[in-house]
Amino acid sequence: MSLELLHRRLVVGMGLVALAAFAGGAGFEPISMILAALALTLALIWQPNFAVSLRLERLWLPVAIVLLLRSLYHIFLVGDDVVIPVVDLLLLLLCAEALRSLDAPNDARLYILTFALLVASTAYRPGVLFALAFVTYVVLATLALVVGHLRRKAERHDVRERLVGRRFLAGMGGLSGVTLIMSGVVFIAFPRLSRGWASRGDVLATSIAGFADQVSIGEHGSRIYPNPEIVLRVEFPDGTPENPFTLHWRGRSYDRFDGVRWSRSAGLPPSIGPARWYEAWGSGRVRQQIYAAPLDVDVLFALHPLLEARSDNPRIQPLFDNAGDHIYWGSGSPSYQALSVADRPAPTALREARSGFSPAREHYTQLPPLPQRVSDLADSLTQGLDSNYDKVTAINDFFHTEFDYTLELPGSAREATLEYFLFERGEGHCEYFSTAMVVLLRNLGIHSREVNGFLGGQWNDFGQYLAVTQNEAHSWVEVWFPGYGWIQFDPTPGGAGTSAAVTSWLWPGRFLFDGLQHRWNKWVLDYNLESQSGLYQRISQLLRAQTSEGQVTPGQLPASRISIGWIILTLMVMTVSGVALLRRSRRYSPEVELYLQFRESCRRAGFRADQGVAPLSLLDELARARHPAHWPARSVVDYYLRARFGGQNLDVLERQKMKNDLADVRRALRRARAPTEAPQGRL
Amino acid sequence: MKRSVSTTLRDAWRRLRGGRRLRFTLGGALFSVGSLAIGFAAVNTGNNLLYLLFGAMLGFIALSGWLSERVLRQLKIRRHTPRGVTVERPIRLTYYVTNRKRLFPTLAVYLIEERLAEPAFISRVGAGDSVAVGSENRFVQRGVYALKTLTLSTSFPFGMFTRERDIPLPDELVIWPRTDRPVRLPAHPGGRGRQPFSDSSGGAPGARGEYRGLREYRVGDDPKDIHWRTTAKIGTPVTREYDRDTTDTVRICLDTRGEPGDEAEVAIEVAAALAAQAYRIGRQFGITTCTSDLAPGGGSGQLERVLDLLARVDFHPSAPHLAPPIDAMGCVLVSFSGARRASYGAYIDPAGIPAAPTHAYAGVTEADRRAG
Repeated sequence: MSLELLHRRLVVGMGLVALAAFAGGAGFEPISMILAALALTLALIWQPNFAVSLRLERLWLPVAIVLLLRSLYHIFLVGDDVVIPVVDLLLLLLCAEALRSLDAPNDARLYILTFALLVASTAYRPGVLFALAFVTYVVLATLALVVGHLRRKAERHDVRERLVGRRFLAGMGGLSGVTLIMSGVVFIAFPRLSRGWASRGDVLATSIAGFADQVSIGEHGSRIYPNPEIVLRVEFPDGTPENPFTLHWRGRSYDRFDGVRWSRSAGLPPSIGPARWYEAWGSGRVRQQIYAAPLDVDVLFALHPLLEARSDNPRIQPLFDNAGDHIYWGSGSPSYQALSVADRPAPTALREARSGFSPAREHYTQLPPLPQRVSDLADSLTQGLDSNYDKVTAINDFFHTEFDYTLELPGSAREATLEYFLFERGEGHCEYFSTAMVVLLRNLGIHSREVNGFLGGQWNDFGQYLAVTQNEAHSWVEVWFPGYGWIQFDPTPGGAGTSAAVTSWLWPGRFLFDGLQHRWNKWVLDYNLESQSGLYQRISQLLRAQTSEGQVTPGQLPASRISIGWIILTLMVMTVSGVALLRRSRRYSPEVELYLQFRESCRRAGFRADQGVAPLSLLDELARARHPAHWPARSVVDYYLRARFGGQNLDVLERQKMKNDLADVRRALRRARAPTEAPQGRL
Repeated sequence: MKRSVSTTLRDAWRRLRGGRRLRFTLGGALFSVGSLAIGFAAVNTGNNLLYLLFGAMLGFIALSGWLSERVLRQLKIRRHTPRGVTVERPIRLTYYVTNRKRLFPTLAVYLIEERLAEPAFISRVGAGDSVAVGSENRFVQRGVYALKTLTLSTSFPFGMFTRERDIPLPDELVIWPRTDRPVRLPAHPGGRGRQPFSDSSGGAPGARGEYRGLREYRVGDDPKDIHWRTTAKIGTPVTREYDRDTTDTVRICLDTRGEPGDEAEVAIEVAAALAAQAYRIGRQFGITTCTSDLAPGGGSGQLERVLDLLARVDFHPSAPHLAPPIDAMGCVLVSFSGARRASYGAYIDPAGIPAAPTHAYAGVTEADRRAG
């Protein structure tokens, strides 16, 4: 492969990789991406000559003008996202340059266009595939810049010898590691001072049911089919709770039920207790670092009761409304820290909670018109019970023991009613259970409400976080106890801790990829000043020699130093091995190397040039074929035989001539194809 | 004398640099500006991925600097300067380059001589390998040109920066004056009947007269005249010397008293042309200037010695008067002032000698001439 072709392919490869990086973000537009990918792939395998290239220019130009006008239109008149139209123009220019003839002096333009595409991709919050694309781009760019530079020098000085070989290219590719290391160092160490103001980093928001202002029975959890889309990734900085699969991730509460639909009343008065009430719950606290996927509802999910929600993202402002639901104002993927109470008030304490502040009665004891038997059922279940807690518990246990959980939806509108569920069907999904319990409790005058959120999740060992998917969408009940606030009850059978506590997905690769994606989001896309300072603290702790008492034990190395020592030793072994390999590969003298290159060139041209073929036999074969490479080949073989077997030391000029003759051989072989069989009967 | 602070600092910086220089190419300057722009954008927007790109661009710059330094290291270079280079003739300098590095090749390096327009180019020298490269230049003025340092220059690997390294490689180039001025050897002084300088009664070099004695062998002498017995005895070649017919010897007297300039160069070229003519017709010839003297001799070696002398000679207004070691009547005076011409056997006014058809302007190299 000539230097020109190699260079062109490397640069086109850069373009393809940059295109992949861009396509991995939110700015993906299928048509332009596919067309560009096709054009660049074509440029890899086909390089038009000058005449065809001129004709193609006549084709690109009007399209470029159209795209330019479109970009200007978006910039000055429409005022919406201007990046996509500009990127379309950029893609067209890139494809046009890639499909020029090989002798076109468009190196700099190609570099700039591919780099511009890579820069554009950073605006769209690309996923973890960007990391792979970035590494590949750096490697290809290193090779392309070197080969391009050598190519121009070779053209200018009419150099005939081959300047780069596979080993050289591999070495240069390896040296691109220097660039990557520098990139990593700058990324980690450069202080993050800016809060950022411009990023189209909003991934398309996932639509999720059950958290809108109105939710109908049968709609919530209506995605009965498995939906493994992750909505929350939760880390526990203070250690993972004992059974994370029983955790209820509270989202939104609903106070008004019209018999079919739950809704949130407008003008709801404050319905939460003072913060000091939570001290009566217990002293346990659980911190959560939550990375939420962008949803189309502005809800902050966390464990109940939530004491504090804080976000480092300035675009996210946590708020809570009168119902005590935590929401946020802003845009983007919410990433926040939540502090919740880990304990639950003891049953004895809750039994004693009889009087005190209660939220607006009309909201949390509101009932639609219901058959009498519903009220009778409530009375029968709680007959003889004195405290509200016992009544609540009785109703809760009723559903656990007498009902079954199913994801099958009711078959008709009549079967979808609450009454049918309570008295006929005896099974249903979580929303039926929570609705039924709230209705029964309200019939007894107990303040209660429906809450939607998620239950449990899937533990990701690789990423060390709890992945909460849409599969875990759930409904439960909150009951008001004066002096304690809203207490959670989950009437769904199997809804308490029976969520699949598995640590593997059906598709293991997706699990691993999600972990990678999470780390990418956390440590790259959302890397900030706090992450930096935390990292520095960790590094300094690692390097500091400490035992558990904080003092060094004489004669004993701390584990951190031992680890570093192993790393250094491994690197040294790798380096020495690499050097030894390289040295071993240079066991031949320059003349032998040149002869081996000559033999390899003949072999590729179709001549029989195996290891066992003698040099003179190879020459005879070239002579019999009357190949134009025969004459310079004679010189090459002559020098080789003299140096190898004749005991002569070639001087500098002779070696130079041998190289020049080898270049002539290569050129002649390229121009003429070798015959598969020598002509018979000719000399 | 106490050195100034600036001089001290400059010397210290030069020592620290180790004779290396780094310059931006246009591409490198644009790349560096682009890096700053990306870095600024990263800080301004807080986009973490831009920090990655910024770091990568800095990495390219660092890698470029390191590789360009590696390429110029551990090179052993030997220069071969040709002898006998005449003005306006192409001169080819050959460099024998050995790459002493064990692993790393040297690629795309220029070898630049000070004041020479065309550098030599090393396309590739493999690790442990050697290569010969050359450069071709032309000089437009005679003289001795000192070659002091050889500059290695490369913009490998990316063409962003040009790194240069000076290595001391002292040598000199002697550029002979032209010898193709259309001038005729004048008739031998001493009157009629004598053979002109341009005629040769003996003809061939090594023509004999009476035996005079032995002298040290000089390059160009007839080997048949070597006295082998004495040579073996003393260990130094000696040759027989004969009284040659003085009409066969041309003594050129070049008056170098005067201002240097074009006229002086013409005078030198005339003297060179006379010597070349004498050599061609087989005469012995010698040359005397105001400051130097070369005894007559014959052959190509003598011509080289004369041309060497003429390459180095300088004109000066206060040079001593011309004082030939023999009777001035036996000399051919070349002088544009014509002083004391009557004392000499023949006189050639350089002003009257036209230029050769392809004569070039005076100057050091074409680059200097173009620079004015």
